[in-house]
Amino acid sequence: MFGALLATEATTLDALLAVACDFSPRVERCDSAAADGPCEVLVDLSGLTRLFGDAQTIASELRRTAADRGLRVRVALAGTSTAARLLVHQEPGLTVIEPGAEAATLAPLAIDALTAVATPGLPAPDILTFRRWGLRTLGDLANLPGDEVAARLGQAGVAWQRVARGEDPHPLVPALPEERFEQALDLEWPIDGLEPLSFVLGRLMEPLGAHLARRNRGAAALHVRLHLVTRAVHERTLQLPTPIRDARTLRTLALLDLEANPPTAAIDRVVVAADPTPARVLQFSLLTRALPSPEQLSTLMARLTALMGEGRCGSPVEVDSWQPGAFAMTPFAPAEPDAASKDAAYVPDVRRPGLQTRLGDSVSPWPVVALRRFRPPVPVRVGVDEGKPSRITTDRRGLSGGRVEMCAGPWRTSGAWWESHGWDRDEWDVMLTDRTTYRLFHERDTGQWFLEGIVD
Amino acid sequence: MANTSRTTLEAALRGRKLDRTLTTALPSIERTPTDVAALDACLHGGCPRGQVSEIAGPPSSGRTALLLALVGAATRHGEIAAIVDTFDRLDMASTTAAGIDRTRLLWVRGQAIAGSPPTGVERALDRALKAFTLVLQAGGFGVVALDVADVPVAALTRLPFTTWRRVQRMVEGSDTACVIVAPQPLARSAGGVTLLLSPSTTHTMRWTGNSNRSRLLAGLDVAVRVVSPRRRMDGEVVITASAL
Repeated sequence: MFGALLATEATTLDALLAVACDFSPRVERCDSAAADGPCEVLVDLSGLTRLFGDAQTIASELRRTAADRGLRVRVALAGTSTAARLLVHQEPGLTVIEPGAEAATLAPLAIDALTAVATPGLPAPDILTFRRWGLRTLGDLANLPGDEVAARLGQAGVAWQRVARGEDPHPLVPALPEERFEQALDLEWPIDGLEPLSFVLGRLMEPLGAHLARRNRGAAALHVRLHLVTRAVHERTLQLPTPIRDARTLRTLALLDLEANPPTAAIDRVVVAADPTPARVLQFSLLTRALPSPEQLSTLMARLTALMGEGRCGSPVEVDSWQPGAFAMTPFAPAEPDAASKDAAYVPDVRRPGLQTRLGDSVSPWPVVALRRFRPPVPVRVGVDEGKPSRITTDRRGLSGGRVEMCAGPWRTSGAWWESHGWDRDEWDVMLTDRTTYRLFHERDTGQWFLEGIVD
Repeated sequence: MANTSRTTLEAALRGRKLDRTLTTALPSIERTPTDVAALDACLHGGCPRGQVSEIAGPPSSGRTALLLALVGAATRHGEIAAIVDTFDRLDMASTTAAGIDRTRLLWVRGQAIAGSPPTGVERALDRALKAFTLVLQAGGFGVVALDVADVPVAALTRLPFTTWRRVQRMVEGSDTACVIVAPQPLARSAGGVTLLLSPSTTHTMRWTGNSNRSRLLAGLDVAVRVVSPRRRMDGEVVITASAL
């Protein structure tokens, strides 16, 4: 036996679900036909007659419980969930029908009643067509020959005919309670330091990872809460680049983060929680080399960041600026190679002398001369002869100075003069007598010379 | 007689699983190309994977140009690459010109040394080596490069030799081509290659234009001497690197 509860006043679905859950754990949320329609839930009441009595008593109890919580609801009980839903939309108050009498009870209802019952996977009922056929009630539709309906309206028409008879198109799908992916451990003695904490985290991450795996979920974010002996709570949140549920990876990431942000006192309670998200589905290719897994990359990036510092590891990207050497760092997150790059895969033919790369049958444009940029630029003393650099002197160990044998320039660039980091300078490429070639610039506002980098 | 003795000796070595020292038992080595035709021909296809190779030469000899060519080729072919940049010297425009797919490049930026205190250099080198080790241990990279080109030779020679031996053991058997860019040959593994760039007095910068105003840096002739194990692919090639 199924019951349908329909809120007659504006209320939240959670409140209605709470009433239904007091009677049975098998409760389904129903989608309303209109987006702002009243809240509706279905509840499986099988076996409740031993607890409450007959169906009428159960319906009364449902309505009374809702009223105790300040909800005004309609209640309908029937042998099928579809019949209960159709009745709850049409009949006010309590409606109870005996199992097996669904079709007869629904038959006098107007054909428009179908619009109130949105069924997943079924298109909206074609009420206009039904009216053109002269159908006025659900009974009229239910009594039509099934094959004739199928010939004219297809499987959707047959499905709506079954709904008109009160038959269920699918079994009840119970709503699962929201699960918390959290593990906690109260310590008998406070622990101080990361080494003992790593064991505790390992013990907590194992069941957390197993829980995520059972639900086919991964952690999108990991929360670590350390309750300190000072009554303070040291909380860290790690946003993970991809859903991860590997316990060792989660523990390593948490530890590396705590290394950089250690707690200020000893710990007497540890809580780890994960924000679940659907797990990744990976399809590896037989034709390309597999990239490191996101777990490996996350761990690597966390270790590198701990070693080198924030913002010193990742992929460089250009920024919207003409400033020489401007760039920004982004997290390193390589995508799987696409088909285009696979097609362009290079197969060296070592048997053929003077081989060419496969780049439109043209000679490769590489290599290109690179610049090794000094950050920050190295100040130098420059002798100027007839407006061009003639000698470079530097105190920096490892950099050569001397007479300029060849130079090209100047190229004047300026920009962002309206901001504090503006630039206005003349650039030169200069080659010294020992063939070391520098890019040099002269700041026009201060008159100072700097080495920007070595051409290499 | 000589053939019989050789066969007996090889059989004895195989029996004791010491046949890795035999030239006849060397496995074929996979290579990662540089997309520089003349160099790839000389290297029989590119830099060997699972080995430590090195690019050594003085400033302005084309070391960085070759490194970026190798990294660019790897990223264009769908692999990921990493550059551990000891002194934070990588230039964005150069990576663009080298055709590097930057989304597939992991750039580990070391600390730029403002002055040249020896302790600062050693600390930066130590961190770079640790980062290099971490990247190699993670695996999955097509090319991993350590740029110590601007580290003073004295600081490099002070490193214990076991440092490079450890790197070689980490790379061995992997699909990673490990490359070290240094001022002089340091740490080539048994199967790796050394690309020895010509001394600064002989390499040639190319310039166009006659007057100061019209002159442009057009390129660099990079003379590469390839030193390989058992002199299998020794040779010398001259490559022209075009200017940015």
